[in-house]
Amino acid sequence: MTISRRVFVKSGGLALFSFGLDPLFLARAAFAVRQSAGPPDRRILVCLFQRGAVDGLNMIVPHGDPIYYRERPRIAVPRQDVIDLDGYFGLHPRLAALRAMWDEKILAVVHAVGSPDATRSHFDAQDYMESGTPGVKATPDGWLNRYCQHHREHADTPFRAVAFGPELPRILAGSAPSLAIDDLQAFGLRVPQPGVRDRLTQAFEELYAGSATGLLSTSSREAFEAVRALRRADPTRYRPAAGADYPRGRLGKALLEIAQLIKADLGLQVAFADVTGWDTHVNQGASEGQLATRLGELAQALTAFTRDLGERMRDVVVLTMSEFGRTVRENGNSGTDHGHATAMLALGGTVNGGRVLGKWPGLDPAQRFEGRDVAVTTDFRDLFAELLARHLGAQDLSAVFPQFAADPTRFPGAIRA
Amino acid sequence: MKTLLVSSLVALAQALPAQHPALTARDSAFHALNRLAYGPRPDEVDRVAALGVTTWIERQLSPERIADDRLARVERDFEILGYDRRDLAAMYAAARRERRREKRGGEADTVAASHPAGPLVQRGRRLTGEFADLAVVRAVLSERQLYEVMVDFWTNHFNVYVAKGADRFLAPDYIEHTIRPHAMGRFADLLIATAQSPAMVFYLDNWRSTAQGRNENYARELLELHTLGVDGGYTQQDVIEVARILTGWSIQPPRRGAAFEFHAGAHDRGEKQVLGVGFPGGHGMDEGIGLLKLLASHPATMHHVSQELCRRFVSDDAPDGCVDDAVAAWKRSDGDVREVLRAIFRGPDFWAARNVRAKVKTPLEFVVSAARAVAGQPDTSPRLAQVVARLGEPLYRHVAPDGYPEREDAWVNSGALLDRMNAAVALAAGRLPGITISLDSVTAASEPEALIDAVDATILGGAMSANTRAVIERQMSDVSDPWQARARAVGLAIGGPEFQRQ
Repeated sequence: MTISRRVFVKSGGLALFSFGLDPLFLARAAFAVRQSAGPPDRRILVCLFQRGAVDGLNMIVPHGDPIYYRERPRIAVPRQDVIDLDGYFGLHPRLAALRAMWDEKILAVVHAVGSPDATRSHFDAQDYMESGTPGVKATPDGWLNRYCQHHREHADTPFRAVAFGPELPRILAGSAPSLAIDDLQAFGLRVPQPGVRDRLTQAFEELYAGSATGLLSTSSREAFEAVRALRRADPTRYRPAAGADYPRGRLGKALLEIAQLIKADLGLQVAFADVTGWDTHVNQGASEGQLATRLGELAQALTAFTRDLGERMRDVVVLTMSEFGRTVRENGNSGTDHGHATAMLALGGTVNGGRVLGKWPGLDPAQRFEGRDVAVTTDFRDLFAELLARHLGAQDLSAVFPQFAADPTRFPGAIRA
Repeated sequence: MKTLLVSSLVALAQALPAQHPALTARDSAFHALNRLAYGPRPDEVDRVAALGVTTWIERQLSPERIADDRLARVERDFEILGYDRRDLAAMYAAARRERRREKRGGEADTVAASHPAGPLVQRGRRLTGEFADLAVVRAVLSERQLYEVMVDFWTNHFNVYVAKGADRFLAPDYIEHTIRPHAMGRFADLLIATAQSPAMVFYLDNWRSTAQGRNENYARELLELHTLGVDGGYTQQDVIEVARILTGWSIQPPRRGAAFEFHAGAHDRGEKQVLGVGFPGGHGMDEGIGLLKLLASHPATMHHVSQELCRRFVSDDAPDGCVDDAVAAWKRSDGDVREVLRAIFRGPDFWAARNVRAKVKTPLEFVVSAARAVAGQPDTSPRLAQVVARLGEPLYRHVAPDGYPEREDAWVNSGALLDRMNAAVALAAGRLPGITISLDSVTAASEPEALIDAVDATILGGAMSANTRAVIERQMSDVSDPWQARARAVGLAIGGPEFQRQ
């Protein structure tokens, strides 16, 4: 890593300074982050959905287990490449940047987490993970939305729950206001002349207020509130702090915009973004290759986000999730097929970091689910419920996860109590 | 022949007035144009009402008898239609070589991605853009509207993702030679065609599935999405057995044109059993054909696909009666898509007042119906397809095999609504590149009242609410220039709440 240089340029009475890539900066920020998390009503949960089912075993590698190497002759990450965490598990080499966060104890891994439902269908499994009701297809809303419905003490702003992408995902669907933002800067009516823009905005607002029904009505109301709030915050002037270098592409853009919204203090509490490209049936690669590229982007995005937020990270937790894991054994195409449990990452100020959480079931065929997949030892609802209860301060978990008795003794321990 | 006779007799017997008594002739025409077509062009409601909506529906059910010269003329400008799969494969390979050459030539830094693309890569991008635009242009211009709606329906039902490797050049062939020829034919033929299409074989990895290294991806989606449906009563073991039957269904190497090929050496020769039906080993590709026929006529498939059709044409919550009628027609006609559709359009649910103007348009439906409402004439540039993409539905780019959803909650959210308003304002002002419009064909009126009346009748089918009228009226007093006034009124109508529904 290059030695950092801090350059102070005096110009027109303004002192501009830029940080280099200083590992100490991250360390200091992380330390501050861990010491002084704010009260729950200031806290923020960022969920990243790795759609397509990430291979948990090549993301958080059980390099201490010979079965892993036996079952994956072509795609196992060689032991010398793994970034060791605890002697048994280690990070994929492209996640090396996360090691600093692990050392600062703001990054935890929950392994062998997943759904009690056995489906290997992406759509069903994503549906269940987003509805929060495994096995029940009829649930109309998503669990993040239900959290917002039942915990109204948090000030309702149009930006309380935001999905970054063109569509509102299932996890945020429901009666509580939530917003899908594809491009923060272009949010609103795009008409060159401000006068015309304002008149048209008002006209459309009146049209929808008076004539829209159902979902069109609620969504349009949220839209116009958001337009007003965002205009006040002016996101066009945003520059990431501390030299944060977000990767190109949707994930980097989404996390950058999440950081913007957090810093603009518009009341963001729950953010969501998709990360695609994990369905590695063919030529998944080992230390290099398809999965490595996706993981590299993820690590760069998380690093940039952490750097950009600096001490604000103390109130934030980023949680990754994925619908299921992949087969322990590689398939005939140097890839992996749909499996069961996977690994999830929790990163942030309230995280009980520096450890791999959850009960590890082992890779022995006798310990596997249906003889082929990593067994689920942590119901994903226990992890999600812990985030809601201990990070966001949720009281009524039964409303968020119906027919599921959330029990703190089963929480994996991802958040410092 | 006999079946044909019987089914047309049954059809005749069912030829009840395809119109709800509560709907006027114009309302019926507007409703049919919103569902069987991508919305009316100016004057079209009157023309369909005069012809009789039942007659119009019957014509739409036989697209091969409808002349489509205007579209044919525009299609001639699409370069992509001049190339077959082999041509496109060769171009793709050449573009890859060019990109690799330039990468090697450039400095070895990580921002190499930002240097400008070479001419072959650029041509590839242009053709990919044309490919998406062609779908929009056909939907806007074709007289065979129901046919184009069904092409979109099956494109989503049998979704492939154009940006996955070889599908960049296989997808155009898939649409032209797999989906379009069978869109109004027999379901079994369409199913078999997709199973043997290079694009699908590549997209769901079946080309890599061999007796030695099985890949379940296609087998699972075949059961879950293409045929039985997720609640269709199959097990994980069925998925495995289906995958075994389909081992060896593969394609030539892309550089040789990527045609479908059966690789006998890769086929699992053992005995299999699917849904309790035995498939003795050693029958090669016939096992797969037998399996697909079994699946195509399975009751769970009839129910699942009929439900999707009722969701598309009638209501997001497919009414049971609609599904029952469709399934009955499916059984009678051995899966003839026209008969299934006819049964849906004749059913009381299709005409029920609660289902009229009840469905929210998908982004494609919104953009195409808006373009048609202003007599739009699109060109070959990908701009209209880009608008559809911005609204959340980039064509052929739905990654997952389930295709774009047919439910309003997938499309209605605050950000997307604002984007629809933006598109409406830009379109009506003539600021949307890639399409020329004619507000003259909506109305020549400039008096606010006459103008708003015309906009209501032509664009909103007479459903403009009092509030909408009042808001547009207030805006009219704001604008002195008559051309601008018309653009403002049309933009507000298309971006407003009534036009979002069909």
